[in-house]
Amino acid sequence: MHSVGVDIGGTFTDLVGIRDGIIYIEKASTVVDDPTKGVANCVEGVDISLADIDQFQHGSTIAINTVLERKGAVTALVATEGFRDVYAIGRSNRPEGFNLDFSRPQPLIQRELSFEVPERLNAGGEVLTALDEAATLALGKKLNTLGVDAVAICLLHSYANPAHEIKVGEIIQSVCPDIFVTLSSSILREYREYERTSTTALNAYVGPRVSNYLDRLDGYLTAGGFSGNKQIMRSNGGTMSMDQARRQPVAMMESGPVAGMIGAGHLAKLLGFDQCIGFDMGGTTAKSSMFRDGEAAVHEEYFIGGYASGQPMQIPVVDIIEIGSGGGSIAWCDNQGSLHVGPQSSGADPGPACYGKGGEDPVITDADLILGRLNAGRFLSGKMPLDPKLSERAIKKVVADPLGLSLIDAALGITKIADTAMSLSVRAVSVARGSDPRDCAMIAFGGAGPLHALAIARDISIPTVVIPRFPGNFSALGMLMAPWRQDLIQTFVAELAHVNEDEASVIMEGLRDLGLQQLVAEDLSPDEASFMFAADLRYVGQEYAISVPFESVKDLADGGSQAIRSDFDELHNVRYGHAAPSERIQVAKIRLTVSLTRDGEAAMEWLSMPYEAEDPQPDGEREVYFDSVEEPLSARIVWRPGLSPGSKVAGPAVIEEPNSTTLLFPGDVAIVSEHGHLIVSVGNTLDEQGA
Amino acid sequence: MNIHPITLEVVRNSFVAYSEEMATALCRSAHNMMIYEVRDFCCGLVDINGELISQNSGGLPIFLADLGVAVKDGIERYGLDGFAPGDVIIMNHAEVCGQHLNNIVIYTPCFHEGELIAFAANRAHWVDIGGSRVGFGSYDSFEIFQEGLQFRSLKIYDAGVRNDAIWQIIFDNLRFPESSLGDLRAQIAACNIAERRLGELYQRYDPATISACISKVWEQSEAAAREVVTEIPDGVYEAEGCLDNDGVVIEKPLVIKVKVTIKGSNMTIDYTGTNPQVRSPLNSGSGGSAAARIAFKALTLPNAPVNEGCFRPLELISPPGTILNAKPPAAIGLWSVALPTVIDLILKSLATALPDRIPAAHKGDMGGCSFYGYRKEDGSRFLLMNIMGGGWGGRPAGDGESASMSICQGDVRNAPVEVQEMNYPVVITCHRLRTDSGGSGEYAGGLGVEIRYRCLQDTAVNVNFDRTVDAPWGLHGGLPGAVNEAVIYRIDGSEERVLKQTNIQLIAGDEVSFFTGGGGGYGDPKNRNEAAIMKDFNNGLISAKVVESEYGLELVGSTA
Repeated sequence: MHSVGVDIGGTFTDLVGIRDGIIYIEKASTVVDDPTKGVANCVEGVDISLADIDQFQHGSTIAINTVLERKGAVTALVATEGFRDVYAIGRSNRPEGFNLDFSRPQPLIQRELSFEVPERLNAGGEVLTALDEAATLALGKKLNTLGVDAVAICLLHSYANPAHEIKVGEIIQSVCPDIFVTLSSSILREYREYERTSTTALNAYVGPRVSNYLDRLDGYLTAGGFSGNKQIMRSNGGTMSMDQARRQPVAMMESGPVAGMIGAGHLAKLLGFDQCIGFDMGGTTAKSSMFRDGEAAVHEEYFIGGYASGQPMQIPVVDIIEIGSGGGSIAWCDNQGSLHVGPQSSGADPGPACYGKGGEDPVITDADLILGRLNAGRFLSGKMPLDPKLSERAIKKVVADPLGLSLIDAALGITKIADTAMSLSVRAVSVARGSDPRDCAMIAFGGAGPLHALAIARDISIPTVVIPRFPGNFSALGMLMAPWRQDLIQTFVAELAHVNEDEASVIMEGLRDLGLQQLVAEDLSPDEASFMFAADLRYVGQEYAISVPFESVKDLADGGSQAIRSDFDELHNVRYGHAAPSERIQVAKIRLTVSLTRDGEAAMEWLSMPYEAEDPQPDGEREVYFDSVEEPLSARIVWRPGLSPGSKVAGPAVIEEPNSTTLLFPGDVAIVSEHGHLIVSVGNTLDEQGA
Repeated sequence: MNIHPITLEVVRNSFVAYSEEMATALCRSAHNMMIYEVRDFCCGLVDINGELISQNSGGLPIFLADLGVAVKDGIERYGLDGFAPGDVIIMNHAEVCGQHLNNIVIYTPCFHEGELIAFAANRAHWVDIGGSRVGFGSYDSFEIFQEGLQFRSLKIYDAGVRNDAIWQIIFDNLRFPESSLGDLRAQIAACNIAERRLGELYQRYDPATISACISKVWEQSEAAAREVVTEIPDGVYEAEGCLDNDGVVIEKPLVIKVKVTIKGSNMTIDYTGTNPQVRSPLNSGSGGSAAARIAFKALTLPNAPVNEGCFRPLELISPPGTILNAKPPAAIGLWSVALPTVIDLILKSLATALPDRIPAAHKGDMGGCSFYGYRKEDGSRFLLMNIMGGGWGGRPAGDGESASMSICQGDVRNAPVEVQEMNYPVVITCHRLRTDSGGSGEYAGGLGVEIRYRCLQDTAVNVNFDRTVDAPWGLHGGLPGAVNEAVIYRIDGSEERVLKQTNIQLIAGDEVSFFTGGGGGYGDPKNRNEAAIMKDFNNGLISAKVVESEYGLELVGSTA
């Protein structure tokens, strides 16, 4: 079995391969104009033959960048008569309440390319006005003359009955065979016309460019003799076939950040942590996600480009909190003498001051270097030597001198402020799901994650931190562990215990059929797939709902709904601190998750394979600043690849490896597990220290 | 006390995060759309003197550092040693809070090692509070006693024990008791979250350090605000405008006068000369203060967290007995209707002093509508409420946004058409931008919207648009935007334009269109970039007539 995962990021293209239990890794620069080239460079670097690969997993930022950079197709919108402006009007909200210069989301489709067709359904899906097919045909012909590459079709109440949308799509496609057509009902079957329109528009807008890209990649793979299974990472934590990705590129918007979290979830399961936080700190942001029994929560309220003026996307995305703290986040002072870190990042170019590429701004990496936490000579395996003098100059000029602090105090301040922001966000992701960080383990990865993980864990009293093998390449690895997964969701509003069993059965069967069709289309075996139903429930009057699993329609109906009712009350209490067992409950949606763990499970097996260390290298010693400005501690410097299972390292210590560095505070003890992961018991959390 | 700058940042960020966490919990588990869609709430931490330590960011702008007043009343009533762990206090008293009675403040005392350290507080709009008013826009109350229940600093829980009598009174007097009691539970739970977080913070730092940090944060906010005020040239700036009427005496407009004095780093906002209080609910007790604070925040530190220090450079002169500072027993059900106009006038007064910052006027009202009645299938009561955005004024460096919530409403969201039709006996026949509603200008005003409802059964509607006469003004040569309007189209073919009217009876087939106002233009339309004009024209935002008559551009081959 030979699986390869490739993650294309903004700066680097990462490849991780596993062949018969042997792992290999490669990194190449991303080629922006032709991303397939970056993939090819990686493949050449590791000297493999594409014909030998059984499974190719891929994630890319191409879809999200197409939106952020506004490089998508010329797209038209087709709406119900009277409602073409739903997309421009949106929800009319202004999240920056006091900002006179606020910006509302800028539609991806111009109003002059927004059209209406006469037709109307009601909320029950019944036809109030029949579709005017002649008008639709005329519109199709007109679109042909307007130079449109893609069309988004979103009609009112199509979640309840997609018949009109399907017909409009057929008519338009029949006269415009080359146009990329997206029906809202083929992407999501949920109410809220603006969010549905926006999601549909996103899909249509990125569709032509993403399909084009996938065609090139596919061509490259095929030309190299590849004949295995091609899967694309999607935002819900699973994968889809390349063909489905061509039709539903909107599903791959967040494919990169999610992949690492999937890996963390599997590691949590392997290590037996039922409550676990995944923490990924890279160059520009820090991301965290909460797992229960290895599963991350998935939400459908997401904004491409941020909440204040971004594009809403109402499809499942793994619940990740992201903040602007990364190794490259810039430290700065405001006029009142307050020190801030981020959210601006120095990026890859010019990068931190210590890279010596002309960066003048001090960043977190500069502070870490000044504090002795980073090894100037071993950064990226010594491929990029760092210059602490440049860090010193930048920190002095921007932070230490203006605030009247010593260099060390300023550097400690930068890391402390960043750590506090990350702690608050890690805590937010755990408490939002009703978990206390004191009951959680944290799995830390990303280039900068292991360097800051222990400070954060101490801050919010997380007792155990795990640094997996290859923390700097963990996202590409996570991709290999993602199952094939479809989330099928449909609006179904009814009072729990008064659900009409026939109606609910029709919806459940419809969802199951969709899942089966997709499995069959991809030659996957339905017998091996898991089908999990859940109902989104809320108290009557509430809007936000909580998903509660159920098995059969009887669980929603009179007489059989006691179990799901008490599950909901309990979840509500855990999450929000109160419950109302005597109140009526409403079903808002029914959802079906179909998933299939593919053959091999190579990466998961690799995670749990016995680990053999390389030849050990002699320990070093270095002065490192931890909490105290007064004096540094003499820390043990350890080369991680040389640590064999069972080895113990006690802080103060720095554990170095090719793409990452782990900082252990005094009191922390790391043990190398039988699989090669570092399991750190966090010593001396702030709770124990007292005031 | 000398505070380490890093400790200061940790404490500052923590307090803001706690307020946000309260807000998320409240919003996600609330039972009525006024909280989860309209975000008609605020959450914060208040010190033992009733001063605001921190407040959440995403709530209604109108609630600016005004939780303290409610808490102070409780401190006076019980004394600082009169609180115990497990107390929950409910408060909406009109004379103290100055806001309509639907706005219920809930707060709890927080303790560390037996010492009272702070209060966790929030205010949320209950969908009903009893009395004569249903939904938005009712103009038929003339004194506070018609407007519902009042609770003045009552312990609804006393040391953890629920006062069942208060609970029963709420249940028996409200139209939608399950909803309001659900909101009440969510409000209490939000306070409990903040109590736990404060406990954690006080375990980490000693109380004296935290108090010093809070004072320092206030000082810094104050200094930052003063710095911006200092940049405004000293002087006395005035503006005057009108609301349509009080909803009772239709022919008489209500005057609003604003005088802004800048002296060094101080700003004084003076409402002297503003209309005396009226016999309708278009009064408020604290509206003048809320409006002044919103304008001040927008001018100084729009995106910084809210705390007590932000408003120290601001002095308010709001003579008692006006619509902005009404004396009891004035009705105040529509307390916020005047505020968008007041705020716009404060900004307008500074338009010449700050030509690079002040936009033209926005649509100038709160944009709410409500439909209610009893469902014909089962006789159950329904109440549909929706809030509409409108146009904002052209800005010194760009066009005004279209279809946006008023300056008082921030992160308020309109109700989706599909949700309204799913839950209420109406069909909505269009939801669109109003062509030509934005004022022309070098930078054009944004467009208002039209939304049209058809009733499927007997239904009552309240219309409470204001500023249907005095249009959103342009600045520096820009033209005014369109006014707010509502039109009823009866099934018998008759049509009537309605202003403020309560409880209009409709039958199946009757339709109502709401047209929201557009923003005023900024700068002379003749200076507008030709490409921008043509883009607006091609997108149907302006008609050929406006292109030719207001922008003076000839459309070649146009049929106009």
